[in-house]
Amino acid sequence: MTQQTWDELGGTLPSDQFRAASDAIVANIEEVIEGKTATVRLALAVLLAEGHLLIEDVPGVGKTKLAKALARSIDCSVRRIQFTPDLLPSDVTGVSVYNQETHDFEFKPGAVFANLVVGDEINRASPKTQSALLECMEERQVTVDGVTYELQTPFMVIATQNPIEMEGTYPLPEAQRDRFTARIAMGYPDPGAELAMLDVHGGRDPIHELRPVSDAATVRKLIATVRDVHVADAVKQYAVDLVTATRESPDLRLGASPRATLQLLRTARAVAALEGRDYVLPDDLQALAVPVLAHRVIPTADAQLARRTTDAIVSELVHRLALPHERQRSPYDTRPPSGDGTGRSQYEPRRR
Amino acid sequence: MRGRRHLGFVAAAATLLAAAPMSTIYDRWTWLVQCAVVVGLIAGAATLTRWWRAPVWAQGLSMVAALLLGLTWIFPSGQELVSLLPTPGTLTHFGSLLASSGEDMRSYGVPVQDLDSLLFITALGVGGVAIVVDLLTVGMRRPALAGLPMLAIYSVPVAVHVDSVSAVPFVIGAVGFLWLLAADNVDRVRHFGRRFTGDGRDVDVWEPSPLAAAGRRLAVIGVAVAVLLPLAVPGMTSGLLSQLGTGGGGEGNGRPGQGGSPGRVNLFAQLSGELNRSEQRDMVKVTTNDPDPFYLRFAVADDFGRTGFGPRSPEGAPVTQGLPDPRDMSREQNAGITRTQYQAEVEIVDFAMPFLPVYTAPVSTRNVDGNWRYDPTMQVLYSERASSRNKKYSFEFVRSEYTPAALAAAPQLAPEHAFRKLYTTVEPVREVEELVGRLTTGKRNDYDRVRAIYDHFSRKNGFSYALNTEGGTSGQDIVNFLTNKVGFCQQYAAAMTWLVREAGVPARVAFGFTSANRSSNTYTLTNNNLHAWTEVYFTGIGWVPFDPTPAASITGSWRSEWAPDPDAPEQSPTAPSASAGPTADPSAGAESPDGAERPLDEAFDGGAGIAPDSGPRWPLWVVAVAVLLVLLLTVPALRRVLLRRRRQVRAAAAASTLASVTADGDVPPGVARVVLSDSELARARADAHAAWDELVDTLVDFRVRVDPAETPRATADRLVREGLTAGTADEAVRLLGHAEERARYAREPLRHGPLADALRSVRRALSAGADRRTRLVAATLPPSVLYRWRLAAMDLSAGFVGFTGRFRDRLLRWSPRRVLANRPSR
Repeated sequence: MTQQTWDELGGTLPSDQFRAASDAIVANIEEVIEGKTATVRLALAVLLAEGHLLIEDVPGVGKTKLAKALARSIDCSVRRIQFTPDLLPSDVTGVSVYNQETHDFEFKPGAVFANLVVGDEINRASPKTQSALLECMEERQVTVDGVTYELQTPFMVIATQNPIEMEGTYPLPEAQRDRFTARIAMGYPDPGAELAMLDVHGGRDPIHELRPVSDAATVRKLIATVRDVHVADAVKQYAVDLVTATRESPDLRLGASPRATLQLLRTARAVAALEGRDYVLPDDLQALAVPVLAHRVIPTADAQLARRTTDAIVSELVHRLALPHERQRSPYDTRPPSGDGTGRSQYEPRRR
Repeated sequence: MRGRRHLGFVAAAATLLAAAPMSTIYDRWTWLVQCAVVVGLIAGAATLTRWWRAPVWAQGLSMVAALLLGLTWIFPSGQELVSLLPTPGTLTHFGSLLASSGEDMRSYGVPVQDLDSLLFITALGVGGVAIVVDLLTVGMRRPALAGLPMLAIYSVPVAVHVDSVSAVPFVIGAVGFLWLLAADNVDRVRHFGRRFTGDGRDVDVWEPSPLAAAGRRLAVIGVAVAVLLPLAVPGMTSGLLSQLGTGGGGEGNGRPGQGGSPGRVNLFAQLSGELNRSEQRDMVKVTTNDPDPFYLRFAVADDFGRTGFGPRSPEGAPVTQGLPDPRDMSREQNAGITRTQYQAEVEIVDFAMPFLPVYTAPVSTRNVDGNWRYDPTMQVLYSERASSRNKKYSFEFVRSEYTPAALAAAPQLAPEHAFRKLYTTVEPVREVEELVGRLTTGKRNDYDRVRAIYDHFSRKNGFSYALNTEGGTSGQDIVNFLTNKVGFCQQYAAAMTWLVREAGVPARVAFGFTSANRSSNTYTLTNNNLHAWTEVYFTGIGWVPFDPTPAASITGSWRSEWAPDPDAPEQSPTAPSASAGPTADPSAGAESPDGAERPLDEAFDGGAGIAPDSGPRWPLWVVAVAVLLVLLLTVPALRRVLLRRRRQVRAAAAASTLASVTADGDVPPGVARVVLSDSELARARADAHAAWDELVDTLVDFRVRVDPAETPRATADRLVREGLTAGTADEAVRLLGHAEERARYAREPLRHGPLADALRSVRRALSAGADRRTRLVAATLPPSVLYRWRLAAMDLSAGFVGFTGRFRDRLLRWSPRRVLANRPSR
C-alpha cells in the first residue's frame, strides 16, 4: 500500500494497477474454469515468478483448458505441442533447413519459440524429446547446430500430464521435473461449479470467445513488480529451513534442490503480490511448499510401501517445522538452539 | 554362594561396630572381647549351615545354638558337660545372672566395672542382634531392616546416660550399617554378572550406576527432611527453633524427676512453681545437732544474663577428694567470726535435682559417691549425671556467725578482683541506680551499704509479701517490684542482689529450704519451705547470707545479728529465731503460711510464676514461614503482572505515537509518504512484538495450544476458528496477528492499532472461555512464567552437567587407572 511510487522504464506497477491487471487475468480465466480460483491464481503466480507449470491430473478435469485459457488471456505468442511418442527433439526446438535460394542453412524455429508454450501430455513423448526442453526451460535459450537462440520474455512452459495411465508413457526424469516451478492438480470441480459448467459449456466452448486482457509488456511489468516484493531475513531463513528439512527427512530419498529454494521464494513473492502485499509471509511459503516441492522429491522405498505420497510428506514437514525467529529464541521452543550459524536444520520429528 | 558368605561376615562385623556405643557404659573392654567371640561363633555357625544349604529356619537355629554355646563357655556355671555343653544347671545360672543384672543395672552408675551379670546380658543382647541382623541381611535380603536391631543397641547407652551421649560411637555404628548396605548392594549387582559400558569397557564394581544421581538426590532430600522436621516440630526441646524462640528462659525448667544439667536448671521457675503448688508434700528430712541451723542450701544463681539471674555451670572436684574447710582459709581474720562444727543427716524424700542440699559450709560427707562434685565458690554439691532422688547421706558442716563489726571491718573488694566482674555485673537501670545512690550516700564501708539496702526492704517502706506476683528477675521485673513493693522471696532476694551489685559489692541469690516442722532434731522440709535469699561477699570473710524477705511471712525465717529483721527494730537485734522459728510450734508454723498462701494459690495459675518471657514464640515463626511461603507463591503471579503491565505500557505508548504520526501523515495519498526513522520503525516493531509475546503468554496461561510451527496469521485464524474468541475479540486477535506479521516480515510495521485494547479484549475472551480451574491457575501460578523458569533452570543444569562432564573427562586423563595393565584400553 505504501512504497512503490517510483516508476521506471520497464519498471514496476503501483499496487492498484498490479491488482487490476492480475485480477483481470484471473477473472478472464475463470470464465472458462469455474470454481478453481486457487488453482488459477497459482498458475498466474507461476507465470509471474518466471517459472514453468506442470498440471497433473486425471483426464477431463480441464488441464489443457486451463493452459489454453491462461495463454489466450495474455496477448502474446502461444504455441502448443502435442507430445506424442514419435515427436522429435527438433520439432520442439527447431531445425536448420537448407535453403535452395540462399544456399544456406536456415533455422526454422520450433514450438518453444513463443511466450507461452503449452505442452500437452508431456509424458507421452520419449525421454529424448522431453530432454529437448531442458535447456530452454532453465536457460531460456535454444542451441541448435552450435547456434544459440535467445527466447523471449515472458517465457513459460505449461505442461500437462496424466498420472493414472502409465502404459506407453515415459515418466519425466528428475532433471526435467526439477525445472518445473510448480506442479498443480486440478481436482474435480465442486457440484455447484460443475452445474454451472453444464450451462456455460453446454453449447459452445467459451474458450473461443476468450479475449486477451493483458499483453507481454504488462506481464513484464508485473514480473518486475513481483521481483520487488520484500522478503524478510526470517522468511528466507524459513525457506532454507524448509528445503533443508526435505533433505534431512527420513522419509525422503532425495530432497529439494537449491533451485527449488529459489523458485519457492520467487513463487511466494508472486503469491504475496497477487494478494496485494509487498512482503512475503511464511504463510505463503507454507501454502506453496506442496506445489513447489512435492514433485521434486523422491520418497524412500519405505515411505512408498507405506503409501505415503510426497504431498503428504512435505505437508507434514511444513506442520512440524518451527518458524525461525529473527529476534530471539521462542521461549516455548524446547529444542536446543542451532546457534552454530551454519543453518543446520531445526527439523525434528514431532513427539506426540 | 561366595557373595552370601561374604555378606554374612559383613553382617557380623557391622553388628560388632554397631555395639560400639556400649563402650560408654563399661569401664574396660572385656565386653568387646566377649561380644566378638559370641558374634564370631554365630557367624561361623551361619556360614556352616549355609554351606550345607540349610533352610533359613535351620540357619536361625544353628545361630541360636552357637550363641548358647558361646555364652556357656564364657559364663560357666561349673555344671557343664565337657565344660561346653549346657545343662539345666547352666540355664539356671543364666537365669540368676539375668535376674541379678536387673538389680545391678539399677544399683551401679556408669561407667560400670566388669560384672558378670552385666557382661552376660551384653553378650546375650549383642548376640541376639547379630542373629537378627544375619537373618535379615542374608536370609531375607533386607539389610535396611537390620538397622533397627542395631539402633536398639544404641538406645541402651542413651537410656542409661542421664546427659547426652557422645556421637562418636553412633557414627561408628552407622558406618557399620552403611557398610552392610553397600556390601549387599554390590552383591546384588554382581548377580547380574559383569557390568560394562556400551563400548565394551568393564565397569568397576564401585563405579556408580547411572541411577546413582537419582539416589543421591533422594538421599539429600531425606537428610534435609530429617534435619528440618525436628526443627519445625515445637515439641522437641533443645531443638534449634526452641533455642531461637525462647532465648533459654524457659528451657530446662527443672521439672522434678528430670535430672538435667546443674547449669541449666531454672531455679526461679522451679521455686515459684513449688511455692505455688496447692498440695504440700515432704521433700527433705534433715536431722542435725545444730540447735539453730541456717537454711538448708542447695543452689545459687550468680550469673546475670539477659533474663535475670541464673545459675552458672558449677566446677569442682569430686567430693571423694575432700572438701575445703573455711576455718583454714581465714584464720587471720577470725576476729568477730565464730565458726562451729555440726553434723547433719539428710534423707531426700521427694526432691530430684542435680544438687544435694547441705548446710554451709560442708567439710566432709558420707554416702556421697564420686559422681558428686563440690564447687567451692558456689558452695554447692552437684552432679552432671546423678540426681538427688532418694539419696540418703550425712555430712559435717561449719556454721559461721559474724558480728557486724567484723563485717564492717572487711576491706573493700579490690577493683581488679575476679569477683568484681563475676558478681557485680548488672544491667544498668536508671531507677535502680537512683535508689542505690540514695540509699548508700554517706555509707563508708560495704557492710553499711549492704545494711542500708537490706533495711530498705521493710514494712516501713511499704514492702509486703505475696506469692501471686510475676517472678521474673530481669531489669524491668526488678523495677516493677521496687515500685509495687509486693513480692515473695525470689523477688526480694533478686532485688537485693541486684541493688547490692549495683552498689559495687559482689552478691548472688541462694536457694534452699527454711528450717521448719521440727520434731526433736529433725526437720521435715516441704515444698512450701523452699526459699531464696541473698549472699554478699565480704573480702577475707566469704559469702555472708542476708534474707531480705519479710520474716513474718516465712516459716522458719532466720535472722542474725548482722542482718536483723528490719520490721522488728524494737526487738533485740539478736532475735535469733533459734527459738522463734522452731519453737513457734511446728504445726502453727506449717499452718500459718499455708493459710496465707492458699487463697492466693487458687487465683494463681502455676504457669505464670515461670520466668516472664512472653509465651512460646514458635507460632510467630510458623506465621512468618507461612507468610514467606505465600510470598514465594505469589512471585510467579507478580512477575506475570509486571510483565503484562510493561508490555501494555508499550502497546499503549505505541498507540499514542501512532495517533500523532497518523495525524501528520494525513496528507493526500500518493503525494508524500511518511518516511519514518529507523528508530521509530524499530520501536513500532518492538511494540508489536511485545503485544504478540503477551498474547502468546496469555494463551499459554489459559492452556491454549501454542505451536511454534504456526505463523502469527495461522495462530490468529486458529483462535477464531476454534471459537476461543468471539465478537470484538476476533478482530482483536486478527489485529494482533497482523501487527506481528507486519513487524516480523514487512518493510514497515503496522503503525496504527489499539494493541493494548486488543490484548485486553482477547484476554477477557479467553478468560471467559476457560474453566474456573484454568482461570485460577492463570491468575495465581501463570504457566507461562513457570515454564520459562523451568526452561531457564533446565538450560542452566544442562550447561552445568556439560561443564562437569568436560571437567571430568579432562581429569580422567590423569587418572592412574588408565595405566593399569589389566584394564582394556577402551
